[in-house]
Amino acid sequence: MKKLIALLLVLVMLLSFAACSGTSGGNETEGTDAETEASSSSDETEGTVAEEISSYSEAPYITELGIYGDVTDRLPVEEDIKVENADYLEIGTYGGELKTSTSSSSWATGKIIEEGLFLFNSDGTLEANVAKGYDVNDDATVYTIYLREGMKWSDGEDFTAEDCVWYYNYVLLNNVDSKGVRDCNTSTDGTYAVVEKVDDYTFTVTFSESKYSFIEDLAVELKWYWAPKHIFEDFVNYVIEYNNATDDTAKAEAESKALAEAEAICGVTFSDVAKAGKELLYYFWNYSGVPTLNSYVLSTESGKNDVSGDYYEYVRNPYYWKVDAAGQQLPYMDKIIYTTIQNTDQSLLLLLDGTVDYQIVSMDAISTIQTEASVGINIYEWSGSSWGDTGTQIMWNLSIEDEHLNALFNNSAFRQAMSICVDRDEFASIYSEGWLSGGQATPSEGMLGYSEEWATKWTEYDPDYAKELLESCGLVMGSDGYYDFEDGTDFVLNIVSVADSGAADTYALLKLYYDAVGIKTTFRDYDRSNIDNMMLANEIECTLYPVTGIGDVSIILKPNSMVPGTATNVVWYGNMTAETATGDLLELINLKAQLDVTADADERTEIALQMLALHEENMWVIAYVEASPTYFAVNERIHNFPEEGVYSDIYRDTGLAHCWCWYIEE
Amino acid sequence: MKKYIGKRLLLFIPTILIISIVIFFIIQLPPGDYVTSYVAARIAEGETFTEADIAYLRQSFGLDDPWYVQYFNWMKDIITEGDFGYSFEYGRDVWDVIMDRLWLTLGVSFTIFIFQYGVSLPIGIYCANHQYSAGDYIWSFIGFLGTATPNFLLAILVMYWVYSATGSVYLGLFSTEMMQNGMRWEYVPEFLGRCLIPLFVIGTSGTCGIIRTVRAQMLDEQTRQYTLTARAKGCSEKTITYKYCLRSALNPVVSGMSHSLSSIFSGSTVSAIVMNLQIQGPVLLAALKSQDMYLAGTIVMVQAVLVVIGTLLSDIALAWLDPRIRFSERG
Repeated sequence: MKKLIALLLVLVMLLSFAACSGTSGGNETEGTDAETEASSSSDETEGTVAEEISSYSEAPYITELGIYGDVTDRLPVEEDIKVENADYLEIGTYGGELKTSTSSSSWATGKIIEEGLFLFNSDGTLEANVAKGYDVNDDATVYTIYLREGMKWSDGEDFTAEDCVWYYNYVLLNNVDSKGVRDCNTSTDGTYAVVEKVDDYTFTVTFSESKYSFIEDLAVELKWYWAPKHIFEDFVNYVIEYNNATDDTAKAEAESKALAEAEAICGVTFSDVAKAGKELLYYFWNYSGVPTLNSYVLSTESGKNDVSGDYYEYVRNPYYWKVDAAGQQLPYMDKIIYTTIQNTDQSLLLLLDGTVDYQIVSMDAISTIQTEASVGINIYEWSGSSWGDTGTQIMWNLSIEDEHLNALFNNSAFRQAMSICVDRDEFASIYSEGWLSGGQATPSEGMLGYSEEWATKWTEYDPDYAKELLESCGLVMGSDGYYDFEDGTDFVLNIVSVADSGAADTYALLKLYYDAVGIKTTFRDYDRSNIDNMMLANEIECTLYPVTGIGDVSIILKPNSMVPGTATNVVWYGNMTAETATGDLLELINLKAQLDVTADADERTEIALQMLALHEENMWVIAYVEASPTYFAVNERIHNFPEEGVYSDIYRDTGLAHCWCWYIEE
Repeated sequence: MKKYIGKRLLLFIPTILIISIVIFFIIQLPPGDYVTSYVAARIAEGETFTEADIAYLRQSFGLDDPWYVQYFNWMKDIITEGDFGYSFEYGRDVWDVIMDRLWLTLGVSFTIFIFQYGVSLPIGIYCANHQYSAGDYIWSFIGFLGTATPNFLLAILVMYWVYSATGSVYLGLFSTEMMQNGMRWEYVPEFLGRCLIPLFVIGTSGTCGIIRTVRAQMLDEQTRQYTLTARAKGCSEKTITYKYCLRSALNPVVSGMSHSLSSIFSGSTVSAIVMNLQIQGPVLLAALKSQDMYLAGTIVMVQAVLVVIGTLLSDIALAWLDPRIRFSERG
């Protein structure tokens, strides 16, 4: 079933690109097929359901928040209300709190409630979300985005096109959020898009050159395209004043005004203007008093509104703009409450007695949950997007400075030897206690680029041939039974990993195979922050269970782990760039550059396939076990948790589970 | 005595300065800085950064200066303005972050401190007075076991036993309800229950050491000639034990207290993490891990200052307790 979903996902994604490419032949008002899909999902499908809804209702808790009056006054106009009507959803009941824990991860609390103009569905299609649809002209230079009429911020103010246009022109163009204009808003020639308001619920995004992938890029890269102008207008003006000030007095004056305004908004004193801008306009969900469009907003109550504290709450947004199929305003649950823990193992413990309602757990925790839990817990299995099981991915740093190692790692015979020297069947059954089979670092079945040939490449266990390959790399067997370099120096593969990741156990098993063919290895695990620092300093030779494993849902949408130079924390290419790369690696980088400037969807897919073919040819990273799914352990009192999904940053991780549809029934 | 204290106080200043330099130097020794840990952590969560973003962050945090310049600026602000700097991680003044957890830390640590000495002194005396009795063996066994078992392991075991027995996890001093509704009278029994595990776990480790010290010292004193003389003169056993032997036996115990002041401030780190206690120790560890240098530096420095003060106080206490030390000072 999972494979089928993954297959569907990729097919739909490809179709949506193909559809985008077809726009050049389409006409301006109708837009693209993909767009029709997105707009129709808001206009027709939801409109139809909305027509069937006879009345709308709200949670009793809303009166406790001191908000009275008819719920329809707080929802968008009827035809623009977004109806959550996916097949798996049951009509829920109001009330209760989702209890969860965090080890101070700002994104984990953000992604789960994040909204975007367009969001990905679990089948990989794009769904109109805050936007109700869009149009695009023939050459994909002008996108017209339609918003939902009557939609409101969580403080009750109207949400209009002005909030989006102002956000782009004032916040992004002036880099107030210190992230500035994202790539999705940049034409291929490097110029920024022009964003203009058409009316209160319509705005246009105009590019100087065709930008076929704008909507997909937007959904991947910049999820929100708005900020509450009525709250931030003065603050942003002061920041711009500060940035433009030429003399010290004016600068100091603007700074103090900006900081005072920031404090007035959220009650927090910031050290400097840049920090205030980034925190309030980029990490906005972390600040009490900042209205959002999310289903839950940070509490304004003292003692419950400090995300660096030990306890905080996100409370339901009384102006949330989505309803269920029966017309009940979402979300169902009144609050999401977070308690801070020191490490994730504690969360597992809290899950067992019901103190925490849900948690992502590792495979080996499942049997603990099944035998030890004193409350009922359901386990949901979502597909992962990594290439092979990340826990068994082994990455050599192809840009390591040491010449001996660099030459060896860049020799495919060495990588092949390392791959075939392990008996995958035996290893996988011990490693995963029988849960997973042997595998390789390749896209899973159903994903773009998958082929059985690739999935089984270099997986046949053959220690004798492995030795031959090692010798072909210039290694010579030393008197101690381990290979040395030709000049007689010891060859030792120093493997590192993150402490407590389970890599130490995995290594202990792998070492038996490596020793058997004469590869001397060492292993050391470091604290995560040390590993991060070593990565940025390009000091890691080889890693097992890399922090960033290779593979993602799509090499087109998110190539970071698969193309050198696109991120700073991927061990296998280290600090490699187009200037330092050679051979196939350089070609891979060039293909990525070509992909960026290619409009036609078929051509883009073709380039992506060429990039994947290079990976297949070279096998820069190997894995020993097939990709493992992501397991969610969810207290059985929580309902409407989707049984199937894909866990990926592109889909905003747990955000794909749409927590606003979860309800509690004891 | 005054001269002695004065001399010690003067030595205090260079000691603290040297300690602060060492602390600052060591904290920035690992590769990278706060920005690298910050960026790496955000990247792992899906955020993207350009080289320019990173350079900008480093500049805005003042991390582009060499470490000695950063140290000098930090020290200057502490001395001239009493400003201990800014915690990158919390986005607030370091001192505010420390004050957040200070009272709870002090409360927990003092209770443990009193528990340790309150329990171990009588047991130590009992064991010395009843050497090789069944009671002595039992306490010694427990004592050795407690000393040999790492605190954090004991914490895990106790938490597991409690969970097996009650079906509830007691993690941290406050339940979710307490944190949600604030402290109310009806929560007091549960709160006290939650205090028992940390008290037992952290308390026992120190307790065992003190029992052994008191026992050995008491036994030593009981064989001294002055004890024999006192007994020959017909002094009661109670007077011999409490007025003479115990007073001498307390010397090493009191010198050991000098470190307590610092641990009272920070609380136990590893055990506090295992038991999710909201005290200073875990903040220090997190600050060290993320290279939040001013926060880590301040906590470690306050600890160092407290060790120095603690040593001074215990020296004074010793002098007061033991006339021989007073006389040797005069001599």
